[in-house]
Amino acid sequence: MSVRMATSVGAVRLANPVMAASGTFGYGLDLIDFCPPERLGAVVSKGLSPQPRPGNPMPRIVETAAGMINAIGLQNIGVEAFCRDALPLLRARGAVVAVNVFGARMEEYLEVIARCEREAGVAAYELNVSCPNVTAGGMEFGHDPALLETLARRCREATHRPLWVKLSPNAPDLVATARAAAAGGADALTLINTVRAMAIDAVARRPVLANGCGGLSGPAVKPIALRMVWEVHRALPEVPLVGIGGVETGRDAAEFLLAGASAVQVGTATFRDPAAPLRIVAELERFCETQGIADVRELIGGLQWR
Amino acid sequence: MIARRDLAVRVAARTDLSPTCFRIALTTPEPLAAVPGQFGMVACGEGFDPLLRRAFSIAGVARREGVTIVELMVKQIGRGSALLRRAPLGAELRLLAPLGNGFTLAPGEEGPLALVAGGIGLPPLLFAAELLAAQGTAFDLYLGAATAAELLEVEHCRSAAAAAGGELVCTTDDGSAGEAGFVTAALERRLAGGRRYARALACGPNPMLRALARLARERGLDAELSLEEPMGCGVGVCLGCVVELADGQFVPSCKEGPVFPASRLAARWSA
Repeated sequence: MSVRMATSVGAVRLANPVMAASGTFGYGLDLIDFCPPERLGAVVSKGLSPQPRPGNPMPRIVETAAGMINAIGLQNIGVEAFCRDALPLLRARGAVVAVNVFGARMEEYLEVIARCEREAGVAAYELNVSCPNVTAGGMEFGHDPALLETLARRCREATHRPLWVKLSPNAPDLVATARAAAAGGADALTLINTVRAMAIDAVARRPVLANGCGGLSGPAVKPIALRMVWEVHRALPEVPLVGIGGVETGRDAAEFLLAGASAVQVGTATFRDPAAPLRIVAELERFCETQGIADVRELIGGLQWR
Repeated sequence: MIARRDLAVRVAARTDLSPTCFRIALTTPEPLAAVPGQFGMVACGEGFDPLLRRAFSIAGVARREGVTIVELMVKQIGRGSALLRRAPLGAELRLLAPLGNGFTLAPGEEGPLALVAGGIGLPPLLFAAELLAAQGTAFDLYLGAATAAELLEVEHCRSAAAAAGGELVCTTDDGSAGEAGFVTAALERRLAGGRRYARALACGPNPMLRALARLARERGLDAELSLEEPMGCGVGVCLGCVVELADGQFVPSCKEGPVFPASRLAARWSA
């Protein structure tokens, strides 16, 4: 039996429901020998700001039980270098590209979008309003529904392209921020970003990360992410969701689809296996086969509640 | 460049080198080549603990009778290295290799070179020593450790240096073997005594590499340093192992390195 793997996130059509997550796949071309970007549903760029950013001091990552904490601090090459060096190659390969947009101020989000509007080959914008590792911007947008709605609306006015907002699991009221993003004009929501966390060196009596705190990712956060996807899907059933958080296998991806996601993103798994996103596509297809599912979209929101 | 691959490998042999360090041989039927300084990322166990692979510098690669043998040296520090120490012979692991850039070894180079190893920084230098000896490039090998018990592969190092007509200089921080003090101080004494090197290649803990970078700057010595930043992915996408360069860029040491000319690193890296 062949399984139909195509899905869509709003107007964005994907050959399969598995994307490479922002910040874990470089600018889409770093792992072509393991994971050609055109064979994934989509690739999401590293968060791009108007100017290059050097990121946080070292150490920036620490492994924890079934997870890792990072405080990279949105190091990136800047939107100009991305548009000049990476985007044309991604376009030539036929990859579906979502640009992850970051700004310390609202104007910076608009600047990144404006620069990308001059380029073909951007399928969607994903607003990063939930990075826990930078002091200015980012997190504040993700935590304040009124501010988030304004940001989404301003970005919405700046482009006709699909607009996704990546939500913070650290917001005091997740559903309120989801509603605000949708009210501002977001076409879809990505959830979740990393969970604010810390690791401590008991001997040194210091935090392990130079930044003090960071964002937890990996299998440790999957149950939280599933619950949040399910909650937002239940509250806003008409809004397409992209599920992310500890997806390591095709079966994990199926769980996110059942909770209400139309697609998933694979992040930390790529750090331990550079072929993980592609492997997960194959595993999800096999899962559907064994479950007698002809079209992967049958899974979306298919959770049976007792 | 040799294509990196994610290989299924088997634990073929393991030898203790010190109370905390061991040598481990991994085998695969697949061909694999590497240059000294390149490394591999090893999945040390199944499941999510540890979650990430561990980076180990390659100490040697050989192919015999259709089997590739990759030699690593490991210091037991955390859970990943402990699992490697316990892995039964024949156990299957995954090895992503070769990664990174490696030292510059120019065939026909006369030398002499100074190879400087600190503690578990030895593997790429022992690998380099064997290649240099085979190609007839002269070198001295400086081997430093905290204590006599932590000096690794002394006889192996001695014979590699002798084959190149060079000297093995051992140092220990506590003076329990060889010259007392840091390995960089031993190099500095010989430089002050008139010994000249075409270049220095080094790997070891960051404080040692910083001292060497300062020494290289003062003495106008070209030095290549293999950095030991903790790595998440090993392939340049997690940005957990960045190092600041003299031009202000922050680059992942797993991809742009791990070997950098000392002069390419930001001055404040070694300040």
